[in-house]
Amino acid sequence: MSLNRRLFLKTGVAVAALAAVPRPLYAQFDGAPELLPPIEDPRFASLAARALDSARRAGAVYADVRLSHTRTRQFFPVVTYDAEDMEVGVRALVDGYWGFASGPVWSPDEMARLGREAVHQAKTNALGKPRIVTLAPAPVVQNGSWTMPVKIDPFEISPFEVQDHLSSLNIFAERAPDVGLSSNDARSTMQEKAFASTVGSYCTQRSYLTLGNLVVGLTSRKTKQQSSIQLDCVSAAGLGWELFSADTLPRVRDHSLREEILLRAEEGREDAMLPVKALNVGRFDAVIDEISIAKLLDGTIGHATELDRALGLEANAGGTSYINDPLGMLGAYQAGAPLFSVSANRSEAGGAATTKWDDEGIEPDDFTIVKDGVLVDFQTTRESADWLKDAYTKSGKPVRSHGCANAPSAVDAPMQHVPNLALTPGREASDFNALVSGMTDGIAIKRANLDMDFQHGSGLGLAAVFEVKKGKRVAQYPSAGFLFRSTDLWKSLLSVSSDKQLRRFGVTAQKGEPPQTCYHSVTAAPAVVKQLTLIDPLRKA
Amino acid sequence: MSGRSDRLIRLAGDARILSAQDCETIAKRVFAFASGPGETSVDLTSWWNGELRWARNRTMLASDRRDIRVEIWRDVGNGRGNVSTNQLDDVSLEAAVHAAERSAVLAPIIRRPTPTQPPLPNPDRPKTAIWSDATYAVTPEARGEAARALIAPAEARGMQSAGYLEMRAGSRARLSSMRMGTIPAPWDIPYAAWTQAQCSMTVRDKEGTGSGWAGLSSYDWARIDAPALAARALEKCVASRHPVTLEPGRYTVILEPQAVCDMIEILARAMAREGAESGMGPWVLAHDDVLGLWRSKLGLKVLDERITITHDPADPQLGIFPEPWLEPVTWFDKGVLTNLVFDRGYALGQLNVNAPRRGLTGYRMSGGQTSVEEMISTTTRGLLVSHFSGIRVLDSASLLSTGLTRDGLWLIEHGQISKAVKNFRFTESPLFVLNSIEQMGVPVPVFRPVKNPYETGLTPAIVPPIKSRDFSFTSTIDAI
Repeated sequence: MSLNRRLFLKTGVAVAALAAVPRPLYAQFDGAPELLPPIEDPRFASLAARALDSARRAGAVYADVRLSHTRTRQFFPVVTYDAEDMEVGVRALVDGYWGFASGPVWSPDEMARLGREAVHQAKTNALGKPRIVTLAPAPVVQNGSWTMPVKIDPFEISPFEVQDHLSSLNIFAERAPDVGLSSNDARSTMQEKAFASTVGSYCTQRSYLTLGNLVVGLTSRKTKQQSSIQLDCVSAAGLGWELFSADTLPRVRDHSLREEILLRAEEGREDAMLPVKALNVGRFDAVIDEISIAKLLDGTIGHATELDRALGLEANAGGTSYINDPLGMLGAYQAGAPLFSVSANRSEAGGAATTKWDDEGIEPDDFTIVKDGVLVDFQTTRESADWLKDAYTKSGKPVRSHGCANAPSAVDAPMQHVPNLALTPGREASDFNALVSGMTDGIAIKRANLDMDFQHGSGLGLAAVFEVKKGKRVAQYPSAGFLFRSTDLWKSLLSVSSDKQLRRFGVTAQKGEPPQTCYHSVTAAPAVVKQLTLIDPLRKA
Repeated sequence: MSGRSDRLIRLAGDARILSAQDCETIAKRVFAFASGPGETSVDLTSWWNGELRWARNRTMLASDRRDIRVEIWRDVGNGRGNVSTNQLDDVSLEAAVHAAERSAVLAPIIRRPTPTQPPLPNPDRPKTAIWSDATYAVTPEARGEAARALIAPAEARGMQSAGYLEMRAGSRARLSSMRMGTIPAPWDIPYAAWTQAQCSMTVRDKEGTGSGWAGLSSYDWARIDAPALAARALEKCVASRHPVTLEPGRYTVILEPQAVCDMIEILARAMAREGAESGMGPWVLAHDDVLGLWRSKLGLKVLDERITITHDPADPQLGIFPEPWLEPVTWFDKGVLTNLVFDRGYALGQLNVNAPRRGLTGYRMSGGQTSVEEMISTTTRGLLVSHFSGIRVLDSASLLSTGLTRDGLWLIEHGQISKAVKNFRFTESPLFVLNSIEQMGVPVPVFRPVKNPYETGLTPAIVPPIKSRDFSFTSTIDAI
């Protein structure tokens, strides 16, 4: 029995209930400060309007304001940390130059100050050479309101329950003498956001993000050697506590979390049983598991098709893109084999970048980035969508933002971030193990981590790599890596498994100066590629 | 009620960060909200950033941002609760204190009494130069003006410039209800405020065949010669155009100071004494089977004898946050490993010392007198490296790492730069590089800013350029 449980019984339900009560915060509307109402309260619209009026009066041709109220709860088996932040940020456009001002105070005076300050920031740069900004059309959203549907609101349940759940996972894992959890914690965020722009849009949303850090540690019974396996089924998702507590979650896991721990431990034991073999450097056909495919997809296509990056706007930060001539390459560039298609969205249930409206008040659409191997679109915002105007017009597509404006909170200026990505499934019904069974000679790759270059065109993968002979994994390589070039990799795609094998993973991406980190999901299936270059990463020249 | 509305607008206007007086007032209010006995402590951080980002020769965004964090720790019984907020009004603070009290019930075993430990001696708090009025006083107009001046030379040459200017101010105080107005405990942090300025830029040609970078960070904007950085980035871009592909292999390298800093970074993160004395990391010597313990390489020569790496909070050129126990430390003395990092628990248990040794935040590395030009002229065949990116340690025992060269790589033949070369992936250990040194230059400050405004402190570094033998490049990459 955990200490928490004993304490819970001793102190009674009252304390447990109290722990879940949201803390009051203050906002100031027209009168005195008062308790912060839910984000749907219509008075937030007038508070936001104060900022827009002030920016407009100061000379902005366009302005938007975001208010964000973020609650974060970090859960460990024996402790819970709580954080709560209110932010407001105003962005203004003057003569093609953007200014931004943000802070932590929600009051009418501060709205007015931030509106003026954002314009002031923009104007100091508008003194220089002219810059033209045409914003793609924004359909007016009138009093929109949306709450991300989650089964269990992590802020509505008692932290005791969560801590007990995590403790029980420890106890459960340790029933097997060779198993333990070397990391075991969870984090949930709820963000309430209000957005208003001079276009006339106003909307409020409430969204959730939950993620866990669960690592199964395994000690070999024979050699006492330790290994660890990260549970990818608790990576970041637009879900509530059901990420941990649900028996199954579509596209995330088919088993309960406890069964997942057992399965991963069993997988680790099986892998460890394979004889260790010296690496054969060379080129091999490879079966790659779904998490590695997801990371490859994210590291290559996900980052390279950010339009601002492709145009060099990230040159001094995260880097540029190998897709360096967006207009020339759109509709013409062969990004992979014909069976390689990639789509993007911010709408899928459970997606880590899922939202109703982006940080420019645009409802994101589902769009295709690579169709049958050909690059057909980019990730865009209202400003960057217009850069593709000529190409869109030529192909008969409307000029519209794909709704990729995002930021961690309102204190950060919105910029283009990666939306949820999805690899289009193929026809191969097999899962990873069945794909291995169908291979006569090659390698199998699991749990890859990538080092990408700053153009995200080539990379080094470090992974668990196995030799495959006649449909069986026959040996493990203690130190192995693979080198790849984005285009060559996807052109060498032999098969992609079907939608039954699709799995969704939450990942982070850092971008910009000052750096911002946002989450998105990547959905992928196991796949087979031909002639992957296998190297020993520890070997010097 | 009027008092409350005053507090709502704090940090709005001229007061961009919390003052010492602000922190004391807020702390007293927080302490007053505690219900019942037990210590309450509050950790107050505030920051302001004035930023300007440009790309393709035009400003993309100019911004003014500020925020606060009030982190409250509340001891109730044997538990310690933790809650943080960024709101300073009474109701929010009171609610946060009570939430911390409730949360303390959830964390009953975190705070263990430690009667066996001796009292912690009160540390010297180093006096450091970390505040610059010049940095704090830079206006948005001045940033805009500076950016235009930095972009102009590149634009005039038909190049594309992208860069970032940031002026930051921050404050921090960690105060306890048990010690208001008395001598602070060793773990308290009396009020400190700091500034940080950074300027960096990348210049690329329009065809995407060349790229040059230059950057510098300092607490003091007046110490950053921005026009010189712009000239260097442009010069590097022009010189790096139309690179040729070179065979991977071992080359003599001339590492510019920024590249040396990238190598030292790997060392700086691997300085744990506990690891070294439990068989992990690069500083393990061997297992002593008689005594049954691991011997570390402390006291042994591990780098070239020309290398001394020190860390002195009083160094006016460095500027490090005045954390307690941040003493002057020599980490490597003429190549000999002289100090490693440890916490107080390890100090008491293993070393019979009653204080931790804080990590290597800012540092100064010794150098020589050889200029980069001289290094080039004395090289028959080698590569000139501007800096690295994406470094990852592959093997924690040897510190063998991989990463990429970036923004300018040149082949040197017969004492002269002969051509620009396509970027390489390297597989090399800094221990090998710093043991294969041929020449060293004059140490200079480099670009090493703190990126997260909630991270207190500054991480300046002063390092020389070096020439080193047999650096291992393992594959070419196409990235320019």
